[in-house]
Amino acid sequence: MRSPLAPLRIFYLEDNPLIVFHIESMIEDLGHIFAGSASSFAELKMKFDTFQIDGALVDIDLADGRTGPLAAAWLQERGVASIFVTGQTEVAAEHAAVALGTIAKPVPVEVLGEKLELLRKHVKSFG
Amino acid sequence: MLVVTHEALNPSVLSIIAEHLVDQPDWSEMPIIVLLDGAAPHAKIRAELSKTWPRSRQIFFQRPVASLELLSGLQSALLARLRQRDVRDHIEREIELRRELNHRVKNILASVTAIFGMTRRSATSIDGLADDFSGRLMALSVVHSAIFEAGGETVDLADVIGRTCSPYRGNGENLIIAEGPPIQLGRDAGTTLALCFHELATNALKYGALSRPEGRVHLTWSLTSTSDPTLTISWIESGGPPVAKPSKAGYGTRYIRSALQGLLGVPPEIIFHPEGLHCIAAGPFSRLR
Repeated sequence: MRSPLAPLRIFYLEDNPLIVFHIESMIEDLGHIFAGSASSFAELKMKFDTFQIDGALVDIDLADGRTGPLAAAWLQERGVASIFVTGQTEVAAEHAAVALGTIAKPVPVEVLGEKLELLRKHVKSFG
Repeated sequence: MLVVTHEALNPSVLSIIAEHLVDQPDWSEMPIIVLLDGAAPHAKIRAELSKTWPRSRQIFFQRPVASLELLSGLQSALLARLRQRDVRDHIEREIELRRELNHRVKNILASVTAIFGMTRRSATSIDGLADDFSGRLMALSVVHSAIFEAGGETVDLADVIGRTCSPYRGNGENLIIAEGPPIQLGRDAGTTLALCFHELATNALKYGALSRPEGRVHLTWSLTSTSDPTLTISWIESGGPPVAKPSKAGYGTRYIRSALQGLLGVPPEIIFHPEGLHCIAAGPFSRLR
């Protein structure tokens, strides 16, 4: 199950702490590094410079509203690729341009592992 | 509302109004006051209008009409229209509530899924899994009731602690001694803290201070009086068996670290002090409202 390649530093934008807790463990089980989390787009903007991020998982509805797509676009401008993790896959589909893909909640660990590998191609340090 | 004379009702006007009426939202029944000339065929006009103009509230006056009579007709039509707008507002509110309810139900199911996934991850037996899982669901349910009874948006920290820790009493005495000023927490912060207290209390009962009759927990909280106050919550155990740092962090420790870091923006201090576990969390209170 663990990724045979170098670990990725994954950030998670999600406002339900229990889901963060669950996904954090899955990320570590997959051999990657949990780089941190934020519960709103505003908090992401505030904290962004303090994190080293290879890629991000982004929920659609956050503590400051339906700001997930905005956050993904904002991260894209800064060279960080996102994957939506959401129960609202139809909303994610409307914003497909700002993310590499979508994972429907609840998240099976195999699907998470597969999708995280998509991020690898977009990590700046890997070219 | 529309006021119209029967002479104005040519086929084109009739059909434009009919179209408008058909396109009305569900709650709407537009009042239309028709002023008929005394010589006009009243019955025929009434029959035709009720057929061509569905979902309208038609009121007929024979000309010449006394101004007082027309005024009272207009007023009652306006009142009816206002009541329809009230209905519209109720419908909109209900749609909004249903959307919010759906969002919350989904969120709770996602929480339960996460609790189950994480409980399973650290379980060593089916009985252990069942006990831990039902204990966590019960904690979630207890804090939900506290929030609901408090009006649904905020909840008092002491109330959350009282309810979450009420099973931990020995001979009617509180083994968890809670002390602090009244503090209103937001719904989500209240839920997260309740689940943290549940983990701390069950851990204390199994391995810590609450596993001995003389053991106690001092649970205290305080707010600084600065412009952006800091909330500090301390869970201090004493009187239990000697504490050793576990070789591997279990669900409780991991959850408390992750949840309090997310809630306060700062990780809590969890100290496996030989005389009793200490867990101290501090962060800006503004994040918990």
